[in-house]
Amino acid sequence: MSDPALGLMMLTLIVIVIMMGFPTAFTLMGLGMFFGYIAFYDPTHAWLDNRVFDLMVQRTYGAMTNDTLISIPLFVLMGYVMERGALVDKMFYSVRLAFRKVPASLAVATLIICTFWGIASGLVGAVVVLMGVIAFNPMLKAGYDVKLASGVITAGGTLGILIPPSVMIIVYAAVAGQSVVKLYASAMLPGFFLSALYLIYVLAWALLNPKIAPKLPEEQTRVPVPEWVRKFASAYSPNMLVGLCKAMVSPGQATRIEADGVRVTYWMLVKNLTAALVPLAMTLGTLWLAWWYVVIHQQAGPEDRPAAAIHQTVPAPQQLGAGVTAPSAPSTSQAGGLEQLGSPELLQGPATPAEVGPPEGFYLYFTISAVILLLILGYYYWKLDADQFEILKLLTSSTMPLGILTVVVLAVILFGITTASESAAIGAAGAYLLAIQAGTLNWQRVKESVFLTAKTTAMVCWLFVGSALFSAVFAILGGQSLVEEWVLSLHMSPLQFMLLSQAIIFVLGWPLEWTEIIVIFVPIFLPLLKHFNIDPILWGTIVFVNLQAAFLSPPVAMSAFYLKGVAPKHVTLNQIFAGMMPYMIIVCICMAIMYVWPGMSLWLPNYLYGGG
Amino acid sequence: MTVQRFLLFVDHVSTWAGKAFSWIILLLTAVVCVEVFKRYILNNPTAWMFDADNFMYGTLFMMCGAYTLAQDAHVRGDFLYGSMRPRMQASLDLVLYVVFFLPGIAALIYAGWDYAHASWIIGEHVNDTADGPPVYHFKTVIPIAGALVMLQGIAEIVRCVVCLQTGEWPDRLADAEEIDVVEEQLSGSQYIDKEAVKEAIAKVHEIDEVARQRGMGGETKL
Repeated sequence: MSDPALGLMMLTLIVIVIMMGFPTAFTLMGLGMFFGYIAFYDPTHAWLDNRVFDLMVQRTYGAMTNDTLISIPLFVLMGYVMERGALVDKMFYSVRLAFRKVPASLAVATLIICTFWGIASGLVGAVVVLMGVIAFNPMLKAGYDVKLASGVITAGGTLGILIPPSVMIIVYAAVAGQSVVKLYASAMLPGFFLSALYLIYVLAWALLNPKIAPKLPEEQTRVPVPEWVRKFASAYSPNMLVGLCKAMVSPGQATRIEADGVRVTYWMLVKNLTAALVPLAMTLGTLWLAWWYVVIHQQAGPEDRPAAAIHQTVPAPQQLGAGVTAPSAPSTSQAGGLEQLGSPELLQGPATPAEVGPPEGFYLYFTISAVILLLILGYYYWKLDADQFEILKLLTSSTMPLGILTVVVLAVILFGITTASESAAIGAAGAYLLAIQAGTLNWQRVKESVFLTAKTTAMVCWLFVGSALFSAVFAILGGQSLVEEWVLSLHMSPLQFMLLSQAIIFVLGWPLEWTEIIVIFVPIFLPLLKHFNIDPILWGTIVFVNLQAAFLSPPVAMSAFYLKGVAPKHVTLNQIFAGMMPYMIIVCICMAIMYVWPGMSLWLPNYLYGGG
Repeated sequence: MTVQRFLLFVDHVSTWAGKAFSWIILLLTAVVCVEVFKRYILNNPTAWMFDADNFMYGTLFMMCGAYTLAQDAHVRGDFLYGSMRPRMQASLDLVLYVVFFLPGIAALIYAGWDYAHASWIIGEHVNDTADGPPVYHFKTVIPIAGALVMLQGIAEIVRCVVCLQTGEWPDRLADAEEIDVVEEQLSGSQYIDKEAVKEAIAKVHEIDEVARQRGMGGETKL
């Protein structure tokens, strides 16, 4: 049998054996060993003197010293600690109150929590079960349509594997030899865009047909305002901000208030005023950060390139559709550099667009977005009555710690201040601090997070060891070049190739986990991308979104079974599947938009790190 | 029940080793954080830190391989497998352990031994960085981890044989699972109905199992 034929046999065998359910890491090792032994067989040497043994141990050592994979245990640890530290039902409760006047408020709150939770955790099953208990039953009780309720939970639950920092992205980066930071930056906007699309769909459906999501009964939307706050508001001013400011100057009336055994102290007033000022601080912080990054940071030292950006940036092939049109609306935190996207003189230069200083339109966009933000803020404070104030306090206490941590972690990665593994370590340490602050950390949870991290890391990295051997042997046998020749002989256009590769991955996503797809099958496509001038970062990001669709496709979607497990008896699997279908279509629309308009994925990485 | 005692003994060895080495992750976190502080705040980076981080990470995941196997936590394509009866599963596993696992891991031990041996003889140091730290102890991890995985693999083969005889899988040691987070989150909840919480906690492990098999194993249970 010729070598390439052996290679193809290897590929066929791996698919069959994976289907037989043997642990994939060892299947890969065993197959790699066998075929490698045949490939390297030399009758003049002793049988233990085969070079496949060297290859195997080299590949193992390579995985052990892989500086991309090293972020996996750290990010996994951060995720496990976060999902044990933050209380998701409190978050859901406060978000639900904040959105109580929006149509289909429970569904909207569910999606928001899923997106938020997706930042912390990458586990589909746990999220769906949790949201099933916390949100599904309340939605059904409130008379929501079963399809609406099951759709938002199953679709929202799978978002976690897409939204950074996600382990899937690190594994893809290691497989494709791309930089983790660039992939994070490119998955960021599509991740949030996808959840925004879900949100728009839910809102539009609820507006067109209010029957599917009836308004909640009065007692469920009442805000639990403490007695002293009511008394305080009547004593000073219905507007809490004005009232608290007045009370700072003349606390006499306030300190006389006593209700439910609570005696108001000056310190309490200061704390409440601080809470009231949180939105202002957040707005100013965001604006300052954008200003600092675009104007001050870059001018201070343009030659001082971000360490993370230089770190293993592989020269990418000419991206799809360089010269895409600029996004029309500036986002608040990354305003700037919009006009320059994809213009050739900037892409060819050694400096990244962010480093050549503030682009022309920046000051205008910055002023406009600052004014709009401040107007919204002003309106918010004008309307800040006791109810709103209580919601603000609830939101601050339940979501702020997690929010701050994720923003800090993502910001230090994306701005290239530290490398991915360093930010992951800071994130993990921060997650422990948060859990201590929230009072949810105990010895049991520390142990659990450590052991789970060890198991997940070992699972992913042993798989990586196996596949490193497997793919090396596959390439040596010539299987890889056979596949390449065959694909090239089909004379496909880049679009056809894109569709074909994504369709194959979509189908593989039914029976397999993302780990197996990314580690075993994605490497087969990667060398082909160059022939078709497809940017591996864009292709990878579309793969991440694609796997969302695969995990939402009936009848194999795992999240449907998780939801069925906690749902009341009368909800059938078919109803859940029917609820998921529209979201699958939305994911496909999202992929199409990403292909037609690559700027959505590539603008942020190109702006921050250049290249393209 | 000497067979069962042998199985649990091997499980204990792998689990103990894995758990002992899993604490490295906290050390790694701490070391990287200190290094970040030293590098970015004090502007005084440590040269050998890059290698030290790799040593910790590599040792962590290699030494936990047997622990992961003891917990059956290595990813498998359980789409069809999950819907099979235990005897069928065991016979498939038995064949594949003998055909793929044993030669693969034996080769890893053999090759790793040679690799580490050569490194000890020349007293190898890291050569990417100037004045790099010694690397032979790190390379020794490969044969040791391989031997642990091999031991656990033999236990798994015995498990398959037991399962073929009795028609049921022998027990494993209980350990932390991902789905446990549901219980932890719900037990601390204040805003949900207590009955629903109790019910969900009671059957969460079963839900996890059924969902992994996409309902093909035991849809009737729900």
